[in-house]
Amino acid sequence: MNPSDFNRCDELGRRRFISNAARLYLGVNLLPMFGPSVASAAPAAAASKAKNVIYLFMSGGMSHLDTFDPKPKKKDVMGPMEAISSKATDILVGKHLPKTAAVMDKVCVINSMTSRQGAHEQGTYIMHTSYEMRGTVKHPSLGSWVMKLGGRLNPEIPGFVAIDASQDSTGGGFFGAKYAAAPIGSPSEGLQDSRKPAVITQEDFDRRLSLADRLNKQFHGRYQNADVKAYEELYQEAIRLMNSKDLKAFNINDEPQSVRATYGSGRFAQGCMLARRLVEHGVRFVEVQLGGWDTHYDNFAAVEGRCKEFDQAYAGLIADLDQRGLLKDTLVVVATEFGRTPTINTEHQSGRDHHPSAFTCLLAGGGVKGGFKYGETDAKGERVKKDPVTVQDFNATIAHALGLPHDLVVMSPSGRPFKVADKGVPVTDVFA
Amino acid sequence: MKTIHFGVAACLLVSVAIGAPTEKLPPGEDPVFIAKSARAIDTHVAAWYRKQKLAVPAVTDDATFLRRAFLVSIGRIPTAEEGRFFLEIDDAAKRVQLIDYLMASPGYSSHMSNWVFDLLRVTDGKPGFAGNFEPYRDWVRRAMEKNMAWDEFTRSLLSSNGDGWDPKTAAVGYYTRDRGMPLDNLANSMRIFLGSRMECAQCHDDPFGETERHDFYELAAFTEGQGALRQGYMNKLWAELRDGDRRQTIDYNVAQVMWDRVYGLSLGGDGAGKIHLPQDYQYRDGDPGQLIGARTPFGKTVRISEKRDGGGGREALAEWVTDKTGEQFASVAANRMWKRVMGQGVYEPVDEYKPTKELHHPELMATLIRLMGDLDYDLRAFQKVLLNTRTFQFVPNPKPSKVQAGDDFHGRQLVRLSSEQLWDSLITLAAGDPDKAPRRSMDDRIYVANKPVLVGKKNMIQLSKEVLALESEAEVRKYFASLLSDVRKESGSAASGSDAMMMAGKIHRYGANSPVRASELPSPAPRSHLLYLFGQSDREIVDGASREPNVGQVLSLMNGYVQEQLVNNSGARLYKSLDGASSDEEKIRRLYITILSRPPSAEEMGWMLDEVKASGDVGYRNIVSALVMSSEFLFLQ
Repeated sequence: MNPSDFNRCDELGRRRFISNAARLYLGVNLLPMFGPSVASAAPAAAASKAKNVIYLFMSGGMSHLDTFDPKPKKKDVMGPMEAISSKATDILVGKHLPKTAAVMDKVCVINSMTSRQGAHEQGTYIMHTSYEMRGTVKHPSLGSWVMKLGGRLNPEIPGFVAIDASQDSTGGGFFGAKYAAAPIGSPSEGLQDSRKPAVITQEDFDRRLSLADRLNKQFHGRYQNADVKAYEELYQEAIRLMNSKDLKAFNINDEPQSVRATYGSGRFAQGCMLARRLVEHGVRFVEVQLGGWDTHYDNFAAVEGRCKEFDQAYAGLIADLDQRGLLKDTLVVVATEFGRTPTINTEHQSGRDHHPSAFTCLLAGGGVKGGFKYGETDAKGERVKKDPVTVQDFNATIAHALGLPHDLVVMSPSGRPFKVADKGVPVTDVFA
Repeated sequence: MKTIHFGVAACLLVSVAIGAPTEKLPPGEDPVFIAKSARAIDTHVAAWYRKQKLAVPAVTDDATFLRRAFLVSIGRIPTAEEGRFFLEIDDAAKRVQLIDYLMASPGYSSHMSNWVFDLLRVTDGKPGFAGNFEPYRDWVRRAMEKNMAWDEFTRSLLSSNGDGWDPKTAAVGYYTRDRGMPLDNLANSMRIFLGSRMECAQCHDDPFGETERHDFYELAAFTEGQGALRQGYMNKLWAELRDGDRRQTIDYNVAQVMWDRVYGLSLGGDGAGKIHLPQDYQYRDGDPGQLIGARTPFGKTVRISEKRDGGGGREALAEWVTDKTGEQFASVAANRMWKRVMGQGVYEPVDEYKPTKELHHPELMATLIRLMGDLDYDLRAFQKVLLNTRTFQFVPNPKPSKVQAGDDFHGRQLVRLSSEQLWDSLITLAAGDPDKAPRRSMDDRIYVANKPVLVGKKNMIQLSKEVLALESEAEVRKYFASLLSDVRKESGSAASGSDAMMMAGKIHRYGANSPVRASELPSPAPRSHLLYLFGQSDREIVDGASREPNVGQVLSLMNGYVQEQLVNNSGARLYKSLDGASSDEEKIRRLYITILSRPPSAEEMGWMLDEVKASGDVGYRNIVSALVMSSEFLFLQ
């Protein structure tokens, strides 16, 4: 894509964002009694650095000890795992992350993440929504919140895309389907079915749509159902998307060999490369998942396998964004639902079990300090010793990086108040 | 066309014949019992309406009933023939007959399999595990096909142990699927079968509920000890073969068959009945690492002392779950079935049990619980009763639900088809009645490095039995050497080729895009599949399926599978319904019945005739496309 295009869509996006924000501040969604929160949100918006988020979710619970919070002095905690030094002076990483080590000068490590959700479903849910699971309400995912509060940067293509992700954790919740992620099952195939089949003439295609539209209007007239309505709107969105010149953002086959080599060839690597293309074309929030971190059984072999998928892809993404000048506008998050126990479970072939009370997440780009370590766990990596960061604080920090009002109250259709990060408070120390 | 009519008619007539009064039928097969039970339910529902001063909703028309009954009971739309036949016959009892026909269809167990696969997270494989769960998947699928009683099914899963390949004990997959994470597995069991949410208590006392961490560990003691059977005899050999370069050899691949596919699928022990508290145990009622016995947290208390060595914990747990938890087990099963048939549970969410006396309509729930008992947990018969109620036939409610979490009978809520209902309906349009295709069979061939070997000579069931019978390291080494030599010999000759063909003929395997039922495809379907786009569960979490709309689904309808396989494919089955239709009106009418299971309104007929006039033959394709893309097609009314 040529740089002037990017600037234009960027400028457009900025204006759109401002108008969206204004509408929200003034709009019906706002609770008058929370007036002060809006005032405090405004300066945050002014200080904003990041426009986009690439959210890499390590599904299953990434072992903090074997990756970004190693304890080399504790042999009983580390087992066969060793730590290596990185480009940031006081940051060590697990030995299977050599390429990542070389970009740690651009990364902020949060070693003091802490949560009370020790089961996958609950842990994944709270990381994505800032709220605990409830039977009566489905909370929107972080990407949906960012769209709701910030709007789209590029009106023609989806603002929230989820690659290789579980649809359960990337939904729009009570914001509705309009705010749900556009799912991409296979990064190499891009957005499936986004082109009209060649055998159909444009005229027939249009006729089909207009017939379907007539049928749908009739049906929707009969049933006031939110999902039915959502499909009607999604048709309009899909057509806009098909006609967009930015559709090519979804095609990683356009990337030159040299760029592919930076990322490596795995599925996660392709997801990261696609995420960069999308961000470049104005997609606001891209989530990419890497599964398989639930290393109860044979932890060390499993972690090695996961790191092989992760290491080059992540390092490649940071380097590529940096080289294109996109890193300052793009917040790259590495998150997971919890860490793993310092105790090695010999019964399960040296496995590690779930450990929510202390774990590690990463931030990079988007105005975050590089080579910076925030928070600390005890000698075994079991408890947070200094500067605990709750899941809600973490999500508030992401919102803050984007200049979004983390304390703005938005009402659900059932009339209950919610915020992007619940009661979370941004960790402002991590920003440069 | 005529013969197919008679085929359907014959099925309906047969069921009528069975339905004739005979003596001593079990209640599940007794039409009198079924009708009586259905009326009892309707009485309670009507009483509730009266109490709320609401009008009882009207009964829906034939076309809506037809489509709803098909989708709810067998998970697909009717074929053109089935639809036309039902709509055209004039018989006061035709709804009852249709339900009989559907419940006897193989489609019933296919549809139930999708439900239970989602509930139990039945998956073909797992990252980092070289084996697969083929025999377990097959066991579950067969249990649905046999309509195994729900209490027996539950007991078989929870009390399982032994050989993962033996069809009698393959239920062990319930535990081996979660090897290394027995606590998650247990929390899921409590949620699935008893509607008790205990996940939080794995790590801490539940601040909102009543469960303490100590309770959870006492419960976990029942299932403690889930190692593989006799795998220790192979430890050394496996360590040698895993080392360095040997991983690239056929020796390693052959050993992997024994290590992952045999031992890895086996389940030793039968539940120790005792467990150590975890190292981070934080409460005063126990010390980290302390050995505690098994005790159930509610219902009729069952205990096993930590001083005993008899084991038998899983059996005791299974019995407690199904027989000693009062109404809870039956209530959760009945409520899940109610949700399947009526669209939402009597109480929601269905995986959080609520005592009957706390509900808005306790009489209804009490009746359902009693019915579950009378029918001995026969889920098919239970659903048959529900399908025969007037409540099932209520007109759709045009307004959004008034009550968020259950308890709402203002007519049926509209809901989008599940991904499996949608897929199974699309293939019905593309290839005709999918229930005529043989179901996927278990692949019991021995795979070495992804290639089947020794086909016709030995299968996994035999191999597994032999390996698990080995009683020392020496025997394991000897067996391995002999297996390796057999495999090597074969790879040297091409002799087994013909055997392979013969065997393969018996094994039905379907690629991800074959026009067969979702229940016969890989579980879960690959992420490029329509099933994923429309929210099929990824089998990671209990009830993980999603019906949320997204733009990818709409793109798929406009440009993907639908266009390729239905609209632009002249061989698609749905075009056969046009055979013999003489007028444009008749053709349009048939397309409507084939796709939407109803005739067009006069207004719609006008639009469609205009389309045919303007576009000629292509007009029919445009009509097909528009009908499949319509919300009416996507939603269950």
